[in-house]
Order: sequence, then C-alpha cells, then structure tokens
Amino acid sequence: MVNETTQSAAGRAWTETDVVYVDQPELTMSERLYLPQVFGGMKTTLRHMFKMRLRKEKVVQYPEQKRQLRKEIYRGVHRLNRDDQGRVACVACFMCETACPAHCIHIEGVESPWPDREKYPIKFDIDELRCIYCGMCEEACPVDAIELTPEYHLVGSSRDEMIFDKEKLLMVYDRTKDEKPRKNPMITGY
Amino acid sequence: MDFIKDTLADQFWFSIILSLAIFGGIMTAVAYCILLERKVSAWIQDRYGPNRVGPKGLLQPLADGVKLLFKEDIVPGHIEKTLFILAPFISFVVALIGFAVIPWGGAFRWPWMAEDAAPLYCQVATIDIGLLYILAVASLGVYGVVLGGWASNNKYAFYGGIRAAAQMLSYEIPLAMMVLVGILTTRSLRLEEMVTAQLGVDSAAPMAALFGLNGFAWTLFYHPLAAVILFITALAEANRAPFDLAECEQELIGGFHTEYSGMKWALFFLGEYAHMITSSAFMIAIFFGGYCVPGWTWLNTSDSVLAMLLRGGVFSFKILLFIMAYMVVRWTLPRFRFDQLMQLAWKSLVPIGGALVLLQVWILYKDLPQWVSIVGNVTILAVVALIGVVVQKPITGRQRSLIKKERIVRMREALVQRG
Amino acid sequence: MAKIIVDGREIECRERIPVLYAALEAGWDIPHYCYHPGLDVVASCRLCLMEMKMPHPKTKEMDWSPKLLPSCQTPVKDGMEVRFNSDRVRDNRRDCMEYYLLNHPLDCPVCDQAGECWLQDYSRKFGEATSQMVEAKNVNPKKDVGSKTLLYQDRCVMCSRCVRFCDEIAGTGELGIVNRGSKSEIDVFPGVPLENELQGNVVDICPVGALLDKDFLMDQRVWFLKSSDSVCPGCSTGCAIHVDHNRDQVWRLKPRFNPGVNDWWMCDEGRFGWKYIHDERRLDRLVVRRGAEIEYPDWSALDEIARIRFGTVVKDDGEEKVAGVLSPFMACEEAWLLARFIREIAPKATLVMGPVPTEGEDKLFPQNNGDSAKFTIRSEKCPNRRGIEMILKNAGGPSVSFEDFVKKAGQSEFAAAWVVGGYPGEWVTKEFASSLAKVKMVFAQDLFSSPLTEAAEVVIPSCSWAERSGCFVNHEGKIQPFEAAIAPLEGCQRDGNYLFALSGESGLYNASRVRAMMAEVMPEFGKLHVPPSLPKHAH
Repeated sequence: MVNETTQSAAGRAWTETDVVYVDQPELTMSERLYLPQVFGGMKTTLRHMFKMRLRKEKVVQYPEQKRQLRKEIYRGVHRLNRDDQGRVACVACFMCETACPAHCIHIEGVESPWPDREKYPIKFDIDELRCIYCGMCEEACPVDAIELTPEYHLVGSSRDEMIFDKEKLLMVYDRTKDEKPRKNPMITGY
Repeated sequence: MDFIKDTLADQFWFSIILSLAIFGGIMTAVAYCILLERKVSAWIQDRYGPNRVGPKGLLQPLADGVKLLFKEDIVPGHIEKTLFILAPFISFVVALIGFAVIPWGGAFRWPWMAEDAAPLYCQVATIDIGLLYILAVASLGVYGVVLGGWASNNKYAFYGGIRAAAQMLSYEIPLAMMVLVGILTTRSLRLEEMVTAQLGVDSAAPMAALFGLNGFAWTLFYHPLAAVILFITALAEANRAPFDLAECEQELIGGFHTEYSGMKWALFFLGEYAHMITSSAFMIAIFFGGYCVPGWTWLNTSDSVLAMLLRGGVFSFKILLFIMAYMVVRWTLPRFRFDQLMQLAWKSLVPIGGALVLLQVWILYKDLPQWVSIVGNVTILAVVALIGVVVQKPITGRQRSLIKKERIVRMREALVQRG
Repeated sequence: MAKIIVDGREIECRERIPVLYAALEAGWDIPHYCYHPGLDVVASCRLCLMEMKMPHPKTKEMDWSPKLLPSCQTPVKDGMEVRFNSDRVRDNRRDCMEYYLLNHPLDCPVCDQAGECWLQDYSRKFGEATSQMVEAKNVNPKKDVGSKTLLYQDRCVMCSRCVRFCDEIAGTGELGIVNRGSKSEIDVFPGVPLENELQGNVVDICPVGALLDKDFLMDQRVWFLKSSDSVCPGCSTGCAIHVDHNRDQVWRLKPRFNPGVNDWWMCDEGRFGWKYIHDERRLDRLVVRRGAEIEYPDWSALDEIARIRFGTVVKDDGEEKVAGVLSPFMACEEAWLLARFIREIAPKATLVMGPVPTEGEDKLFPQNNGDSAKFTIRSEKCPNRRGIEMILKNAGGPSVSFEDFVKKAGQSEFAAAWVVGGYPGEWVTKEFASSLAKVKMVFAQDLFSSPLTEAAEVVIPSCSWAERSGCFVNHEGKIQPFEAAIAPLEGCQRDGNYLFALSGESGLYNASRVRAMMAEVMPEFGKLHVPPSLPKHAH
C-alpha cells in the first residue's frame, strides 16, 4: 500500500518538483467591495435577456421541432439486439446488472437451448424510470447485446408500463435497427 | 346618485372600496409576477419560458392556479396540524395588509366636491405612524415561515425556519436604520408626507429639488448609499436570492415548505410575491420619490382625478421596475453561505448604516443644509473602501486559505514524515 | 514450533507442515491449485514453486537451489530459508499461468465460478494479459458427471483435487483422469456416475469453474451474494457453514472451515436441504382462535394473549396442568427464554423435549473404512438435542419424555401446552394429534400447517434457522453460534424477538446478550466453539 501512494505512475517516488501549487487568485479592489462585481454579473444576464437572436437560434420548440441527434452516441431507451438468426444476442452474463449504478436491470438466466451458447436470458427487465441512462450497461456488455438507442420519446401511463421486459426491448431493436444498426458483429462461443 | 357621490367622497367608504380594488389588483399582479419570474429567468437563460397557455403564455397563471387548487393537499401525519395549516395564511395575510398605508395616488378631489373641501387620499389608511405600521407588519411575516418550518416536524423544514428567523433578525437592524435615515431626511412618519417632501419645491421642504425640477428631491439623491443598503435588506427580508437560505433547494430540499403541497404551498408563494410588491412600494415611497415624476408639476401636485390615476400608474410602473430588478438579481447571483450572510449584515451593513444615521442626525442637530449628506455618503463609501484595502478581505468573507509559503512548508513536512 | 526464513523474514510455524501452508498462514499470497490441506499432496500444478537455500554439492556453501522446488511438498524444518520473491519464481508463475490459459475458453461472463475463481485471480495477479497460442483451442463439451454436478472440461486445470477427494474423503473413487498430456481430462467410469453423498464438496474444492453445482447453476452471480456464518441444522454433527444470500433469499450453502467437526466439508443432504425456507406453504401470520372465530392480531398483542390465557388455565386447572414442548430445532437461547416464561407463569409446569428425528445409522466417510472416519453424517436429524437437554436439566422441575407426554395428554392430564415445532418435514403423528385434542389450550409455534396448528388456539408462525440467530449444541457438546442470514418471511417475527418480550425483558433480542444471561446459571454457555478462519489466501 505504501508503495502505491507514494510512487508516481512511472514507478518513481514523488519529489517536490512533481507538485504543482495552485493558489487562489488575489482579490482585486472591486471584488473585495462585492457590489461592482454584482453589477458586472447583472450586465451579463441583462445582455442575454435582451438578445432575442440567441433564443431563436438555440431553442428547440419540442414537439413541433425535434433535436438533431448524434445517433451513434445518443443514450436513449435501451434495446436488446438480435443476432443474425433473430435470437436474442444476450448471453445472460449479468455484467450490465453488475455495472448498473441505478440497479435497474434484472435478469434471470437459464441454460440455452442452442448449441453455440451456454446461457440466455429467460427474463430481462429494465426499469426505465429508475435508469439514469449512463450507458454503463452498453460498456459492460461482452457481446454488444444491450445498446442505448436514439429513441427518447419515452412515455407511459403507469410505472409497470415503464418496466421494459425482454420482448419490449427486442421490439425496440426491431424499430431502431435501421436508424442505428448493430455496432459489432456477434461474438460466438459463449 | 347623490348617495353614491357622497359615499365616494367620504374617506372611510372610499378607503374600503380602494382596499377591495387594491386587493384584486395585487392578487392579479402576484399571479403575473410568477409568470414574469419564469419569463425573466427564461430570457436570461436564452429560453422562451412558458408560451403554451394562451397567447405568448399569458394565461399560464390561470393554468397554474387551477392546477394548484385541484392538486392533492397532502397533510403529513407527523406534523403539528393547527400551526401547519395556519402558517401559510399568516405568511400571506401579513404580506397583504402592508398595502394599507402605501400612498398610491396622493390627495385629490372628485369633480363634484367643493374646492375647499378636505381632499381625499388615494390610500387605504392615512395614519400618523404609517411607517412604523409597515415595519411591524413586515416583521410579522417571518412568523409564517418559522411556524411552517417548525410545525412540519421535518429536519429540512426546521432548518429553513431557523435560518429564516436568524436572517430576519439580522437584516431588520440595517433595514430599520435605513428607514430612520429616510424619516430624518423627510422629517415625517406619514408615508404620504414623506412622498410630498420629496417634491422638493416647497420652501419649507427639507430637501431642495435637483435642477429645480418639481418632484426631483428624492431621498435617493441625498443618501444613495442608504438606498443601496435598503435594497439589499429588502431582498433579505423578502427571502429572495441571494438571500433565499430559508428555502434553498440544493441543501434543504425546499426548506420551510418541504412538507407543503397544493394551495397551502401556493399561499407561501403568493405571500412571497406580495411581500416583494409591498417592499418595493415601501422603498419607492421613502427613497424613490413615490409617485413623483421629475419636472411634471401638474401630475405631482394637481388634485384632479386624472392626475390621481396617473400618479397611481407611475407608482405601479416604478414597482414593476423594482420587481424586474429583484428578478434579475435572483437569476444573476449565487446564494450566500450562511456565515457570509451574517457577516454581510453584522460586519458591513450595520456599521455603515450606523454611520449614515449619525451623519443625518448630525445634519439635523447642526441645522446644516441637506446637501452635506451627499458629501457624507461619499466620505463613508471612501472610508469603507479604504478599510477594504487594509483588511484585504471581501465584505462577504471568503474562506481564508493558507498562503503559498505556508503551504509549501506544510507539504515539505508531510513529505519528510512519509520518508 | 519451527522457525523458518521466508523472503528474508523469519516466521514461526508448526512442525512438519508444508512450507506453502506456513507461508499462507503468515500472510503470503502463494498461488496454488493442487494443494489442499485436507488431501494428499501431488505437487502437480507447479505454481507454488520456490527457491530454497541448500549446501552446494562441491563447496558445501549454503546457496539458493539451482532448480525450483514445490513448496507444498517440502515440509518445514527449523532454520530453513526459502524465497518466493525472486525473478525465477515469478517467471515460473507467469509461464505456468500462460500454459493454464492455453486451452481455457475464457468464457468468464457465463461461467458461474467467475468472481470466486482462482484462475481469474491468479491470472490477474501472477499472469500476463496476452497469450502466444496461435493454434485452435481444444474444445471439450460439458459432461454430466453426476445427479448434482456438471463438469465443464474446457475450464479444468487438472489439479486433481476432485479425484483425490473422491478417493480419500468420500472413499468412493468415481472420478478419475483419463488420457494423457494436453488431452487428459477428468471423467467417470461408464455406468458409474458421481453419486456419493459428499459430491457437493468437489464443486467447492474445484479452484476453477470446471465442476459446478446443478442446483446453483446460472442462478446468481457470486458477487451479488452476501455470506453469513451459520451452522447446518440438518444433523447433530453441526457443520459450520456459510449461508450465501441475496435480497433476503438464500441461494446456496457452503461449508465453513471447522477443524474437528466438519473440517472443510459438508454433506449433500445439508447442502441442498434448505429449500423449505422458501416454501410457499409456510405459516405467515399470527392466528388466534376464539371458538369458531378467527382473529389475526398484531404481534404486539401476543405478550398479553399468552399471559392472560396461560394465567386463566393456571387459575382454573392448577399449575401442574401446563406443559411446554421444546423442539430440538430451537436455538438454546429461544428454548431457555420459553422455558423461563412457562416456569414463571406456572412453576410446576412440565417441560418436554419434542421428538428427536432419526434416520438409519451414522454414515462414516471414507466408506468401508470406519476406523479413521474423516467425515460423519449423523443419524440424528436435528441440530440441538444436546442443547435442549442442557436447558431442561438446568430448568429442573417436572420433565417427561415426549412419548410419556403424548400418553399423559391423551389422558387429559394437561390443560394447556405450548408446542414448538420447526421441523422441516411432517412431524405430527396421529397419536400426538389425537392426544392434543384432549388439551384444552394449545399454543403452536411451527413452520408449516399440520394437525397441530389446525387444533391450536394460537398459532405462532416460526422462522427457519436462516432467519434466526442463536446457538446449537452439537453431538459432542460443542456450542456453536449462528447468525441470522435473511430477514424473516413477511408476517413472521424472529422467534427470539417475541420470546424475549414474553419472558419479561425489554429491548430487542440479541443472541449474545441472552447467552450472557444464560451463562450466569449455566457457565458452559460462556464458552462458545468458534472455528478459526482459513488463511486469507488459502483455498
């Protein structure tokens, strides 16, 4: 432990030259009097307040207008990918459930009926209300079976409705596969 | 017909009618203040704000009201019920009754009244101690917050209430001092007389009008520093940012109103906005010339009904400007830390306020011309700035960090210890 | 005690134990697969190799040996000097780890062992991230070797622990190694599957994911599990176990090292015998019958109900008409609290020990070698007969055997009885049920509904041992504490909680506090048998 804390990444012990001292800047006269700074801040806010142009450029009038998304990286509703035979690509390894910081994924794995795979999920529930859309599940998945889609119009009239099960997640894949094709080819052998 | 004319010409009945009109007006104004707040915050943040209900979102207050009325009114099980229900009402009522002494339009006569008849005052109550009344009522407002926080039996609410109480106590002192400066300058306790004193044309008036313009002897010009401090304390008294420690969302979830919902919650907010309007009206009457428009003698002094209505309009317009100022401040400044809040009150506002009061008393005692106060104000500001240079600390008290040399020494010691 | 020098540091250790184990006990993390302290040494995994100082053949000077020596096969000798921190030792470990992974499928994501796998741990600590293997990996499908065990040959590291276990501990020898070299594999003989009663242990000792438990297969990832120290209630051996649970559900039991009682092992009966904990038919609410009326009162009312009803019986029929039946499935603390309550209400009440279930004969392992038994499955299928006997002896006063109690109850000699069950199976016999009908008032505290609970006036749902805490006294008198693993079934309360309140104590039930109270009258409860823990890096 001692070695870990006192050695730099290069394996060399810390010396004083490695330390960068950052000091709080000295306050100027107007900063010390506070009020001039207040007026400075108000000048900025007032400038924005009377700039109609910025508003017109930046505001998206949802739902009439929709945002231009970067579909490759947008983190919306999850989907469960299908492999080339139309089966669920997930191997029920629980890595997403483990990585999930919000504990919103619940999987039940069983022995798979297919020879090329050991395990598959019989149940795969994601609580979309609990999810924080961090994308950790996507990062953790060893077979790229779970992905986040650019789909963000997510509504439901009850909490139960917002718990997406396996069928619903596969349906999301069917709906979004043209918009965002599955990234990587399937890895076999699990 | 005569009966109606007589009734209108009687100050008592006129006051009752006026109070009803003001009540209705204020309620609408408060509702639209909330819309304005949302709009201003949106504009400042380059957004549009509510724009779905009605043209340009103008019916939004109606929608909000309907929603809040029909919302489930949750009364938690662990509260002190009587006080819990009472608190928002105290908060709301107290904010409203302050309007009674605001001189909206000054003195006037109906066309059917005799020339020499005593004029009517466009004011609900013309009392000798109008100013004390408004101070007393404004101080009561904190009871709503403290009781609500205490009755909620919830740590966040309790902290909110305690903070509100401490804050009110601290800021009441500089506020009272500034009001005292106003009283000593205009030499009256009646709000309507304080306004007329700021006309500045009367030879008997204590203050001379600037540039000889009628209605341009605002206390503001003789005590600019006092006006600034009064505005700061008014922000604090109204629990507005940057002094909204009693309800700060990030630390206290909502502070004193954490447990409130529906209409009771809405009453707190109506109270807060009503308080904003009252405190603006109050400041305008004392320091910003009330309904006076510089240079428009007819408007400032005429006793006709039209002039009275116009004066009311001028007063309202000034209030609107103040409220805009409140809002811009709220959406500009970050909140104070609690120790900074106290430091600001006790270490800067109170001493400066004291100096200002002494200055004005000295002027009165020596019977000096009023313009001396301008010199005095500038001097006090210069002294404060000088002290700031010497003390090397901001008036709000930034947390002191170690200076560079000290830290290097400490770092060395730590390295030596580790080997 | 011997003194040896490891990596330049002197350590003290027991005589004649392997250097490997001495180093493990002293805190070293020495990788090893084939070595298990309970099995013979084969020194086949080559991971624990070390350097030792020995005299040079010509100059007779002490110097490091030219070849690496297996530390598991080298016994400790006073004054010897060995080292594990040399480059040669490290290189050997790294190369060995690369060999181990040549044919390994690297299917950790779907492997149940992942998270408690020593191949993962050692690869990370001692191995390399890359492999030089370019040929196709051997593919070896999974084999169904026994009714409870699966063999994934792909993942096997050929440490032969399982083979040695079957030979040496179980004595049945079903498993063996077939073929040679890189083609060698573990297998069973045709027609002789792995069917001994200790087969669950081969899964425990398998350091990798080759042998897996069918019962636990794909149920949970092991890192979700929380582990509680407990004692197996299956028989009077009292094996120390870990209860692995997650979200108030038990998933598996694992043996806990307990020298002299169960060593490293446990039997399949105990290992898989916990399923009744989550049986849907369990009683889950307090029931009070007043004639034909049925009430479901709150738990806080139980104290009053019991005191009023027993008080009425004592007043109407006399003290000697009250009986308490203590079950050998109760923890000592609970039994003591209940006995105290009954004796307080009716000092002349009769205390009875409930039926002690037995099944066949004690089973000794290795089989056919009774003289040096390394593991025993007892015929007495309850955990705490000795404990209840101790409590009854201490309580004194009238006490009869269960048979006599049934007889006497049948002759209407009792008017009130508090009967505790807690047996995992059916236990109420016809005679018992018919004689209970003669008892006016019965308080039944049990897990499942039976003729007893049907007839009882007050039915108190009991908890399984995994939901309670306390101690069991095993067949040789060792007092072993166990902790509550999971929260009680909804609607139930831990038995200790209400018994504690009933016996007039205030506050919450805490097994160690009750034990301290018991130790004042029964000093033997002051000393518990708590097994030592394994060295941190041993497995």
